[in-house]
Amino acid sequence: MTDSSSQDPVLNNTQNTRTLSVLVENRFGVLSRIAGLFSARGYNIESLTVARSSDPGLSRITMVVRCEALLAQQILKQVNKLPNTVEALDLTDTNCVERELVLVRVRAPEEKRTTLLTEAEIFRARVVTATPENYVFEVTGDSGKVEAFLDVVRPYGIDEMVRTGKVALHRALGSRASGSQMTDPSA
Amino acid sequence: MGAQMNKRHPLAGKRMTGAEMIIQVLAQEGVDTIFGYTGGAILPTYDAIFRYNIEHESNKREQIQLIVPANEQGAGFMAAGYARASGKVGVFIVTSGPAATNSVTPIRDSMADSVPVVLICGQVARSAIGTDAFQEAPVFNIMSSCAKHVFLVEEPEDLEATVRTAFGIARSGRPGPVVIDVPKDVQNWEGVFKGEGVIRFRGYENRMKALAEARLLPEECAEFLSLLQKSERPLIYAGGGVISGDAAVHLRQFSERFQIPVVTTLMGIGSVDTTGELSLHMLGMHGTAYANYAVMDCDFLITIGARFDDRVAGKVQEFAPNARFLAHIDIDAAEIGKVKSVTWSHVGAAREALIDLLQAGRNFKKDFSKWVDHIRRLKKQHILNYDRESEKIQPYHVIECLNEITKGDAIICTGVGQHQMWAAQYFDFKHPRSLLTSGSMGTMGFGLPAAVGAQMAFPDRLVIDFDGDGSMRMNLGELETATTYELPIKIVVLNNLGDGMVRQWQRLYFGNRFSGSDKSLRRKDFLKTAEADGFEYAVRLSDKARIRETLQEFVSFKGPAFLEVMIDPEADVYPMVGPGMGYKEMITGDYIIGRMAQDGLFDRTSKKSDAF
Repeated sequence: MTDSSSQDPVLNNTQNTRTLSVLVENRFGVLSRIAGLFSARGYNIESLTVARSSDPGLSRITMVVRCEALLAQQILKQVNKLPNTVEALDLTDTNCVERELVLVRVRAPEEKRTTLLTEAEIFRARVVTATPENYVFEVTGDSGKVEAFLDVVRPYGIDEMVRTGKVALHRALGSRASGSQMTDPSA
Repeated sequence: MGAQMNKRHPLAGKRMTGAEMIIQVLAQEGVDTIFGYTGGAILPTYDAIFRYNIEHESNKREQIQLIVPANEQGAGFMAAGYARASGKVGVFIVTSGPAATNSVTPIRDSMADSVPVVLICGQVARSAIGTDAFQEAPVFNIMSSCAKHVFLVEEPEDLEATVRTAFGIARSGRPGPVVIDVPKDVQNWEGVFKGEGVIRFRGYENRMKALAEARLLPEECAEFLSLLQKSERPLIYAGGGVISGDAAVHLRQFSERFQIPVVTTLMGIGSVDTTGELSLHMLGMHGTAYANYAVMDCDFLITIGARFDDRVAGKVQEFAPNARFLAHIDIDAAEIGKVKSVTWSHVGAAREALIDLLQAGRNFKKDFSKWVDHIRRLKKQHILNYDRESEKIQPYHVIECLNEITKGDAIICTGVGQHQMWAAQYFDFKHPRSLLTSGSMGTMGFGLPAAVGAQMAFPDRLVIDFDGDGSMRMNLGELETATTYELPIKIVVLNNLGDGMVRQWQRLYFGNRFSGSDKSLRRKDFLKTAEADGFEYAVRLSDKARIRETLQEFVSFKGPAFLEVMIDPEADVYPMVGPGMGYKEMITGDYIIGRMAQDGLFDRTSKKSDAF
């Protein structure tokens, strides 16, 4: 994509994920248009969430893509060309809050329940429902916290899991210009 | 967006069908010609065209001409040819399903070359959508990947505003194709015509407003001028954006004022007069040797409405290797830094940017005459050339002779392949919008329907479809369209009995194995084909001695004329920068002089065609 076109930026930065936030008009086919743009240009989406924003006419799409900052800029510029796009931002390295919700069904035999619950407590994971064999946990947090929780419960046996994908919001109006990186103290 | 409404539309408040509203909005947008093919799901709209024209029988100038092609792809390229030649939005109307899918190629082609067209497709009734109905295709999904924007009209009340908005989107910013999918029941619906109103796109409208207001600040101009001051060998690299942005006049002023030579892309041909002293003609894979050498030699590359595509910058790292500074002006923010990072950039219309720079630089002084002398020498030393002694008809010679007649004033349409590159290299182009060619998509079969569209836009100009035998075959059915509407298009088919460009690559890279590209055993008789479609002038030229007189009689013929020229099937396109290669690896063939180490500023270039 850049001067060093022989070096694929995606391959060279496998650790690099970017959180993109796109505000679009809530009209027919907008999501398919954006998703189509990604597939047509060979960008891979790690996660994607879409829902109404505070303005009922607009939807907020939060996407996590695995690429370097320069390519993310190019993606955003392409997204920004679509008539239905209102704004497109890279929230990575900005002053924003990020959250993901996970529902996970973990095997919970009688003898392991107490330790499992104690560990879940550390992550403020809630038991949403239980059966004689399982607990279903709900945990919310940034990617690091969610991954850490999953690492802890994995040895018990994960039956099934569903993740919402990341959503992100600026802390304050005007903070989007900020390039400073802040960690979320409550995460 | 949409037409400026100063007074209330005379039909505002009147009840009419959706189909009638479509035609009313087209008329309001100034559409004088529709290209298209009717069918089940678009019948109401075609009926509305018919009735509209009967109502306007007394004033022919208010009627909307309907041009019916042999295939919907033809309609699309006619609309694109009309748009490319005139700068106005081209319109084509087709039915659902196969008609819509036949339209995908011209839509994608128009997207890739930033051509403003509006396609109205019939669609099955809303109640039948998604049921695999007869002649149903998922137009929204298919076209979403190809078009600038797609509308599916779900609410009939939105139809009128949608059609109006489509024009606004097609022509604003970086122009492009817009598709409107109109279910049949929406066309049959009856409601009140408003005569005004558009669909709002707040983000897009804001961005367009910002683009319209994007002027260069004094400090940005000063920075540009300081780069120009520091440079010794500035070069303008102009693309299609100069033409679609109607900035050709300003580019010429800019180049003259600062004495900066110009290379253009294929799409940018005509942005400057190619016969001008500062013009170096086309750069890139098949650019002139002197244009490519100038790119190698320049120390400041000023890119305007061009995008460093792979036919220009095959090897990005080696493109303009001695340019200390790069400037980039483009209306599309996504093009800045997409391929090549630049020193100075501006997102905005080329015309306004050039006006601002001219104004800011009115006291600018810098003598580039040594560089301009160098350019003059390059043009002389590395002039395009070919085997002038050959017994066989050389395509370049045909163009040189035709060019003596057209003198850079004709509209030349092409297909895709060798003939396209020869046309770009050997014809003179004095005006913008006079070379109509499928640049980015490279769609064979573009030339003939594009010529139909261009001739509709300019009935009195000389329009030539300069084609190859392979490209001519692709949309051969449109020969009939030219005669049906008595369009005086002049069609030249350079026949080299196959796909010449493919064969050139097969000679270079595939050991002369002409897989699929040799058509010498085909029994096609182009003259009989043309005669069968009503061409009264259909002539085959195979005698080198008769080129001039034949061309003269061909061009002078009143009405559509068809000329097949049997050319040397071995003729190749030179110079050539191989795919993925840098300009220093350019081969110039046996007749164009390549640069030797001693007379060039930089690298030695092989002049032998067997350099691979």
